[in-house]
Amino acid sequence: MNKKDAAKETLLKEIAKCRSCRFCVDVCPTYQASEGVESMSAYGRLQIIKYLLTGILEFDDSLTYCLYSCLQCRRCEVICKSKGQDIDICKIMQMGRSLLSQNLVQGSSNEKI
Amino acid sequence: MKRSKTLITQALSTLKGNIERTGDPLGFKHTYWTEWTNGLGLPKGGKTVLLTARMYQMLPYVIQTTDMVASIKPLLAIKGFGKALSMGNRLAGETVIRLKAIGAKEIKARGTRVLKGIVAALNGVGEHPAYLYEAEPYSGVLLYDLGLEEDIAPHINKVYELLKGHGVEEVIAVDPHTTFMMKEIYPKYIENYDIRVKHYLEILSEGKGDLGDVSHKDLPKEFVMHDSCVMTRDLGIVENVRKLAPNMGIKLLEPENTKLDTACCGGPVEYAFADLSRQISSIRIQELARICKDIIVTCPICLINLMKYEADLGVRIWDMGEILHVALTDRFS
Repeated sequence: MNKKDAAKETLLKEIAKCRSCRFCVDVCPTYQASEGVESMSAYGRLQIIKYLLTGILEFDDSLTYCLYSCLQCRRCEVICKSKGQDIDICKIMQMGRSLLSQNLVQGSSNEKI
Repeated sequence: MKRSKTLITQALSTLKGNIERTGDPLGFKHTYWTEWTNGLGLPKGGKTVLLTARMYQMLPYVIQTTDMVASIKPLLAIKGFGKALSMGNRLAGETVIRLKAIGAKEIKARGTRVLKGIVAALNGVGEHPAYLYEAEPYSGVLLYDLGLEEDIAPHINKVYELLKGHGVEEVIAVDPHTTFMMKEIYPKYIENYDIRVKHYLEILSEGKGDLGDVSHKDLPKEFVMHDSCVMTRDLGIVENVRKLAPNMGIKLLEPENTKLDTACCGGPVEYAFADLSRQISSIRIQELARICKDIIVTCPICLINLMKYEADLGVRIWDMGEILHVALTDRFS
C-alpha cells in the first residue's frame, strides 16, 4: 500500500469513529455564521471528506469552500470529547486538505482524492 | 463560494512559491521584521532566543494582502487570470504591498509596542533572550494549516538547522500559532527534536521571577478577555493572563464563550474568505463588546481581525503585549 492509500485508510477509520451525534454542529463558528448549513460544520466536513475519499462526491467550488473554510479552532473537539468520543477532527481536516492541496497546487486535471 | 477552487489553488500556489523562493509567506526578499528592535540592544545570539516568527511585523502587509485578494476575487473567473496573477505577484507583489502598507503606520506601531512590551516583561522576570534579527525564520504554520504536506518537512528541517546553527537551545515564542507549530508539530517531523519551546506568557506566570506590582494609571481598570483558540485548546494556556492581571491592577471579565470554550475571531479564513471571516468576527465582537469596551487578546491574528470594529463599535482591542508595554516599558526596557 502506498503512502497516499495508507493516509486514505487512516482517514476513513478515524471518520468511522464519529457516532453522528451532531453535538459538534451547533458550536461551529462557520455553521453559526452561515445560518445553519450543516456542511459548514465539523460533522458536515467529515462527511464531505468521507464521500470524497470513497468517490461518491467530486471536488468542486462548494466543497472547496466547505473544507478550506474550517477555522481549525477545535471548538468541535471540546464538545466531541465531552460526549465521550474525542475524535481529532482538526487532524482529519488537516489530512484531508493535505490529500487535496498537493493536487490543486500541481494543477492536476483530476482533483479527486 | 463561487470560484473557491481557483481562489484556494492560487492561495496555495502563491504561498508555496513565496516560501520556496524567499522563506517568507509574503514572498518578501526585503527584511521587514527587525525594525521593532531599534533601541533595545538585544544580543544577536544566545542559547535562548525570542522568536517573533514575523507574526506581529507582518500585520500591515497582511491587511494589504487580504484587501488585494478581496479586490481581485471577481476576476478569477477569467481564464488565465490566475496564472497572470502568479506572475504579477512574483514580479511586483512585494513592491505593491510594501507601498500600500506604508499607510498602515498605526498597526505597525501597535505591533512594535506589543513586541517591546513582551521584551520588557521578560526582562522584568529576569529573562534576557537574544534575537536572530535578519536570520529569524518563519515557522511554516500556514503550510501546515493548509495541508501542503510535501512542503512542510523541508521547511521545518531548514528552520531547525538554522536554529541549531545559531546554537539555540530554547525558543520563547510571542504568538500561539508559532508556539503550537514549534512545540507540537516540529517534533513529529524531526527525530530527537531537542529545542525547548515556550510561549512568553508561560515564562511570565510560571518562570523564575515575579513582575511585582506594575499597575499603571494609563491602563483601563477593567477588560474583557478574548481567549485565542490555539492558545487554549491547542496549548492549554488558559490561566496565565488571568494570573498576571492583578499585578497590573486590572480586573478581567469573562464573556459568554470563554477559556476552553472560547469562540474563534474568524481570522484563520480571512486569507481567502473575507466575507465569512467578517460574519464570524462580527458575532464574537458583539459578545465581547456587551461585557466591556476594552478587550484583551493574546494573538496577532485575533488582534488584526477584531480591531476592524474599533471605530464602529467604540471598542479598543489590546494585545497583552501592548498592556505590558504601557505597564512596563519605563521600568524594565
